[in-house]
Amino acid sequence: MAVTKIVEVPISAEVPIGPQHPALHEPLLLRVYADGEEVVRVEINTGYNHRGIEKLCEKNTFYKDIFIVGRVCGICNAVHANCYVRAVEQILGIEPNNRAKYLRVLSMELERIHSHMLINAVMAENIGFENLFMQIMLDREMVMKAKEILTGSRVMADFMMVGGVRRDIDDVKRARLKDILLKLRPKVEYYKKVFEEDETIFKRLAGVGVVKRRDALAHGLLGPVARASGIRIDSRASDKYDAYGDIPFKVITRDEGDTWARMMVRWDETLESIEMSIYILDKLPSDGNPVPDERKLPRRFPPGEAFTRVEAPRGELTYYVMSDGKSLNPYRVKIRTPSFNNIINSTFMYLKHTIADVPVILTSLDPCISCMERATVIDLEKGVKYTVPFKVLAGGKP
Amino acid sequence: MRRPRLLELTLKNLFRKPATIEYPRKKTPVESDYRGLQYADLTKCTGCSICALECPANAIAMTPIPQGYEAPKTNPRRLYPLINYGKCVFCYRCVTVCPFNAYITTPKYDLANAEKTINSSPLSLSTLRKG
Repeated sequence: MAVTKIVEVPISAEVPIGPQHPALHEPLLLRVYADGEEVVRVEINTGYNHRGIEKLCEKNTFYKDIFIVGRVCGICNAVHANCYVRAVEQILGIEPNNRAKYLRVLSMELERIHSHMLINAVMAENIGFENLFMQIMLDREMVMKAKEILTGSRVMADFMMVGGVRRDIDDVKRARLKDILLKLRPKVEYYKKVFEEDETIFKRLAGVGVVKRRDALAHGLLGPVARASGIRIDSRASDKYDAYGDIPFKVITRDEGDTWARMMVRWDETLESIEMSIYILDKLPSDGNPVPDERKLPRRFPPGEAFTRVEAPRGELTYYVMSDGKSLNPYRVKIRTPSFNNIINSTFMYLKHTIADVPVILTSLDPCISCMERATVIDLEKGVKYTVPFKVLAGGKP
Repeated sequence: MRRPRLLELTLKNLFRKPATIEYPRKKTPVESDYRGLQYADLTKCTGCSICALECPANAIAMTPIPQGYEAPKTNPRRLYPLINYGKCVFCYRCVTVCPFNAYITTPKYDLANAEKTINSSPLSLSTLRKG
C-alpha cells in the first residue's frame, strides 16, 4: 500500500532554565516549552529562596525589624528599611527633620545608581560582552565607596532609624561624595552611549520582548519595565515621600517597550539620580540634628496600622505594618516587592521569541529573587505539590 | 561611535595600576568610620544587657568576666557582652543603644583567622587590668 498521507506530530521540547543556570544569577526555574527554537509556553516556578522574613518580623520587636527588613534584599536594603521605618513613623506620629529626609533620599538614590549599573553590567555579560561587564562593575565601585562614606558600609546601609537617620555627614564627606558623583557622571554617559550606539548590543536587545502599553497595564508591571512601555508610574513623583517633593527630577519614560528601552530607561534614571544626589549635596538643609538618640525612642507602640510605598530600583515596593498596641512586636508586616509582580506576570513576554532570547528578556526585568521569595505559598507535604488559591488564603472557601 | 584608538588605550593600560587588590597581602582601604569590629570597653560596661536584648541577630551573649580580671565596681554582676562575630551583622545597634557609651568601634573588617571561633572576648578583656 502506497503512502498517501503523512501526519506530522508537533513536538514541543521542555527546556528547564534554572534554578541553577549560568544565565541566571539567582534561583528561579523557568520551564520553557519550545517548538523547535520558538518558545510556545513558559511556566515560572519560584520558592527556592524562601526565608520566612515576614514571620520573623512578627517575632521580633519594631526596632529589630528595621535591620531584618534591610536584609530582605542586599541590593535595595535602604529602600526596604525606609519603607518600613516610614510605616513605623506613621504609627508613632513622628516626623523626621528636613536634613534627615534629604540624607535618606541621598542614600536611596545612591542605591538606585548602583542597582541600575549592576543590572546593565549583568545584561552586558549575558549578551556576551564581558569586557563591558568588567568596566561597568569597576566604575560601580565608585558608588559603593560613596555609600561607604555616607552609611559606613558598602552594601548594608543600616542607615534608616525611626525619626531620622543613623549618621550625619560633615562638609569633608560632602565634598568627597560630590567629587565621586562628578567623576561618575561622564562614565555613565559613556556607557549610555555604548548601549545606544554599539551595533551588537542594539541588534541583540532591540525588538526583543516587546511589552505593549496595554499589556504592561493589564499585567500590573512596575518600575522601569512599565516606564519603558510608556506608562508614567513612579511613586517618588506621585507620593512625594521624604524629600522627593523638594528635589526636582524627571520621570523617565520611553515608548519602545522592548528590552533595549528597559535598559535605556535604567541608564537615564541613573543619570537623573546622579543629578538628584548632586542637588541634595548642594542644598543639604541644616535644620537640626538628623540623628535621633536611639536610647530615647518610644518603647510602647499605640495600636494602629500603616501602609507605605517607595520607589525601589525595580519598581514600587509596599509595606503594611500593623501594631496591636499590646506587645512590643508588630502584629503583622506584609511586604510586596516589585520583582514579585514583574517576574510572576512575565510569561507572556517570552512567547514567539527564540530560546536564546529568554535570558535576555529575564535579565531586562531585573529579577531580584530574594526580594520576591517571601510571599509564595508552596505546599510540599508528603511529596504532593498543590497550589493554594488566594481566595482560600484570604479565608474564603474554594 | 568612533573607533577606540587601540594604541592609546593599550599604552594607557600598560602604565595603569591593576584594578584588583591582592587582598590578604594588601588591605582594602576603608573609611576610618567604617562599621567594623566593635567590642565593649569593660571599664565602662555595667553588664546591663540592653545590647544583648536589642541585637537583631542575637549575636550578643552576656557572659561572666573570668576570674583573675578586676571588674569595675559599677558592674556588680560581673557580666560582659560577648559578641559572636560570625553571627553579627555589624548594624551597630548595640553601639547606639548602650546607655554608657561603652562600645569601642574599629574599622577592622577581616574576620578570618586561625582560631576556630571568633568573638569579642580577647578584645574586650584587654580593656581590663589583670588583678
